[in-house]
Amino acid sequence: MIQSRSLQLRPHRVAADQLGVFRWGRLGDRVVLTNDAGEWQLLSAADFATFLAGELGPEHPAFEALRSRGFLRQDLDAEDLARKLRRKRRYLGAGPHLIVLITTLRCNQSCAYCHASRTDMHRTDTDMSLETAKLAVDHAMRSPSPYLCFEYQGGEPTVNMEVIKFCVEYSREKNRHEKKTLDHSVVTNMTYMTEENARWLVDNGVLVCTSLDGPPEVHDHNRAWSGKGAAAFETVTRWMDWFNQAYIDKGLDPALWHVDALMTTTRRSMENGKAIVDLYVQRGIRNVHLRPLNPFGFATKTWRAIGYSMEEWLAFYEEMLDYIIELNLQGVQIMEGTAATFLKKLLTPDDPNFVDIRSPVGSGTGQICYGFDGSIFPSDEGRMVHGMGDPIFRLGHLRDTSFEEATRHPTVRAIATASLLDALPQCESCWNAPFCGVRPLHNYMMSGDLFGQRPLTPKCKQHMSMVSMLLERLANDTDGRVEAIFRRWTMDRPRSPDANA
Amino acid sequence: MSSESSAAELQIFDFVSDGRSVRLRLDEGLYPLDAIRGAAYLFLDRCFVRLERLEDRLVDVTLKSKGPTDDEALGALAGEFCNALLDQAVRVQVAASSGKIREYIMARAFFSAPAQSSIDQLLAELDAEELAADDLEIQVPWEQGGA
Repeated sequence: MIQSRSLQLRPHRVAADQLGVFRWGRLGDRVVLTNDAGEWQLLSAADFATFLAGELGPEHPAFEALRSRGFLRQDLDAEDLARKLRRKRRYLGAGPHLIVLITTLRCNQSCAYCHASRTDMHRTDTDMSLETAKLAVDHAMRSPSPYLCFEYQGGEPTVNMEVIKFCVEYSREKNRHEKKTLDHSVVTNMTYMTEENARWLVDNGVLVCTSLDGPPEVHDHNRAWSGKGAAAFETVTRWMDWFNQAYIDKGLDPALWHVDALMTTTRRSMENGKAIVDLYVQRGIRNVHLRPLNPFGFATKTWRAIGYSMEEWLAFYEEMLDYIIELNLQGVQIMEGTAATFLKKLLTPDDPNFVDIRSPVGSGTGQICYGFDGSIFPSDEGRMVHGMGDPIFRLGHLRDTSFEEATRHPTVRAIATASLLDALPQCESCWNAPFCGVRPLHNYMMSGDLFGQRPLTPKCKQHMSMVSMLLERLANDTDGRVEAIFRRWTMDRPRSPDANA
Repeated sequence: MSSESSAAELQIFDFVSDGRSVRLRLDEGLYPLDAIRGAAYLFLDRCFVRLERLEDRLVDVTLKSKGPTDDEALGALAGEFCNALLDQAVRVQVAASSGKIREYIMARAFFSAPAQSSIDQLLAELDAEELAADDLEIQVPWEQGGA
């Protein structure tokens, strides 16, 4: 039945000529204002209406903050905002700094969520050759970035330790002339580690990052391994202890030199959240990085067993965030990794240049990935899409594609265009734009479109919800204790890079 | 059609629902097309959206719900859309008013950057300013102080 109805709504009164350059959005009963320089301010809904009408005067407690942060036209210091914006986007034009090398696709584990990145151990044809490794290092060191982090991934990268050793030594040799700052990091499951390789990694200052999904009932469930009489959890933690002791024996500061760990959240993880955080605390790991699964590439049956909706994940995340804050209030030192990334954007004048959460996204402009066979990709995600049979993100091959050709490739340009928040529908006016980043490759896998549609994009909901949670906790922080904890999470104490170069 | 009694007074939105979708007729003289498009975009997860220009400056917006289609739900959908439209109209107004300033800031930030040495100097100065006071002992490493 056709019905005609009417609505009556009262619009805002707007004194546009009294307002600065800003975006805004609603957080519960508050309104958050942000600008390109990364400044932000919370107002009540009533105060926001007064602000828009140009009637919020100097006597108001928020007036000075609004004025000094550039939200008001009065005394607006465009030069100051430009300086802050330039600092926030310092990564623009700097070139890729994250260099991902896939030393092999072979892996001795069969993790529930690893879907396009591995082959069985007999597949030696998926090892990177020394010739390809040399081409990759030569290629990567053409990057204009003064800092490079070589990240060795797989498969299980230590299965092809010869290539890791070669790349570390060859890049350092080349760097005598290049004079860049180099880091080397191996992302290993630890179950293929030998004392000889471990000793070499420690002696050569290669950072070690492993996967620790939680206590045995979680880790061994997520990361199936038919090892030599031991479960994966026991092996991983034994090697973590070995490395950490080796750093101490070498006289290195254990607060800076220790094995970092990453976890991937499955449905089983969500049932054991506090136990996971407690394990990290117990093992002295100061950063637990709660990451949702990438919901693509799975068989439906697998996803049903381990997957979840973004809403479920966000509920889990919020509960864990509060638990971690509570532990901090009790004096325990642990932070949540993605929260720390956003807090650096919210509370410091810099941007952490985390390649997945920036504008434009780092694929091809902040990172580059070399496949085992010499194929070049804008990111590890691009390589995974290729592994699933879709070559759309392959930029070329080390034999015939220069660094300049790869990083200026039309595909890289398309990814940059599709992730420039200033030009994307909804993002360009979103309050979270100064702190957010979209993932075109993720959009492509979800919808077949690099740009995606924000209301249908889980990453949009994820990032906006996470920053909202942080702002709400700052807004409700009456005694400043939570802000002190959050500010502590933003402090980086870098290891001296390339200590053994 | 929508009408406006005055800039800050009640605005009236007429809409038609047919048990599956709602349709609003909007005057571009009151609501810029960018605001209509901006509001429509926000509803892509909940609706199939159709924009149709019937005649000069007159746009029909049809929201076909992907969820509940009872009268109450469709009425709420229309209400939320109108709120979003008013919100988007303000954004368009503010963006138009401050657009030149934003362009100037962008130009100063990216097209007249000082030499690298000046950037380094600037960063050092900003660091010194911002980190000078440390009442909360933020800079004290975890292992050397309490949380």
